[in-house]
Amino acid sequence: MDLLGKLALPPQVMARQLGDEQVFLDLASGAYFGLDPVGSKAWNLLAEGKTISDVCDLMIEEYDVTRAALEADIVTLVQSMIDRQLVSVIK
Amino acid sequence: MSASLRTLGAREQRRLPDEPFQQWVSPNGTVWTAFHRRENGYLLRFPDLADFELSPDGVCVVAWPAPGTSAGTVEHLYLNQVMPLALSRQGQLVLHASAVELGGLGVAFIGESGRGKSTLAASFATTGARFLTDDGLQLRLSDGRWRITPSHPSVRLWEDSEHAVILYPATQAPAVDYTAKVRLLAGDHIAFCAEARPLQRVYFLGDGTAPTLAIKALAPAEALIALVKNSFLLDIEERQMLAWHFEAMVELAALPIFFHLDYPRRYEDLAQIRDAIIKHVDY
Repeated sequence: MDLLGKLALPPQVMARQLGDEQVFLDLASGAYFGLDPVGSKAWNLLAEGKTISDVCDLMIEEYDVTRAALEADIVTLVQSMIDRQLVSVIK
Repeated sequence: MSASLRTLGAREQRRLPDEPFQQWVSPNGTVWTAFHRRENGYLLRFPDLADFELSPDGVCVVAWPAPGTSAGTVEHLYLNQVMPLALSRQGQLVLHASAVELGGLGVAFIGESGRGKSTLAASFATTGARFLTDDGLQLRLSDGRWRITPSHPSVRLWEDSEHAVILYPATQAPAVDYTAKVRLLAGDHIAFCAEARPLQRVYFLGDGTAPTLAIKALAPAEALIALVKNSFLLDIEERQMLAWHFEAMVELAALPIFFHLDYPRRYEDLAQIRDAIIKHVDY
C-alpha cells in the first residue's frame, strides 16, 4: 500500500462520528460498518487529508507501540475499508 | 401522519413476474413477507394470507386477502406489519418496540420477538401506568425533542402472558389465522395513553439469561446498530430514504438514553422488574 496516498469517501458512503466511534453506511448496499475509538481517530486524521504516513507520525506519540506495529494496524484498517468499498485512494 | 386501508375481495395470489427486492423469513425458513416494487408503489405479499398494495408515498394501502383469510387476520397484518412500513415510507421513524408512560415520560422496550416487549407494556398498563404502543413505536422530532406517537390501543400477548398479566376480563379482537397471540383492546383495566410523550429512556431487552436484573448503559455506536436492526424501513434500496434514516438514527443514538436490560423471565418477578425500571427512569 502507498503510505503517501490519501483517502476519500465515495459519494455513496456516509460517515458520522458517534461518541468516540465512527459509523459508516454504504448507501449502495445498505451495509453498516463501525470503527472503534482508535480506528476512529485514525480515520478522522485520514479524512482531513493526511496520508497514512502522516497519521502514523501523529499517533505514535499517543500509543505505546512500535511504529511498525502501528503502521501495520493502520494499513490493515485502510485495506479493510478499501475492500468494503468504503474509501477510495486518491492518486 | 397516518395510512388508510381499503380491503377488497379475496384474490388468488398468482405468481409474480419479478423477484422481490427484500424478504423477511420466519425462523422456520419460510418466507413471511416478500417486498416487490410496482409502477404505482409497492406490493407486500404475505404468502397464503394477503397481498397489500402501497402507494408510492405510503399513505394509501389496499389489501387483497387470499381466499380463506379472515377479516381479523387482514386487520392484524395491517396494524402490526404493513402500517409501520407505510409510515416509514412517509418519513417516520418506526421501531420494533413497545412503550409506556411513566411520570408523563415515554419509556420504550426494544427487542426481538419473544423478548417480552408486550408483556412488559401490558404489565405496566394493568398496574397503574399507561401504554403508548405494543409494537410499531413511532418517533417524531418536535421542538428539539424526540416524542413517541401513540399507536393502536391494543396489546398482543401469548396465552401464558395473558394469564399472568391480565387480571380482569378484557375485550379481545377477532382471532387471526397465523398466530396464537391474542390481541386485547385497551379499556378500563388496560390503560392506554393517547397523547404523545417525550422519549426519556430506551431499553434493549436481553435474552433472559442474566441471573439477576441487569441494566447497563449502551455506547452510542452500539445503540445505533441496535436501533437499525429493530427499525421498520420499507425500501432499503432507496438511497434518499436510507440516507435520511441513517441521519435520524445517528441523531437519536447520540442521546444518553439507551440501556441494555436483562432479567430472568419469571412472571412472579414482574413487580420487581417494574419497580427497578421506575427507579432507573428516575422521573
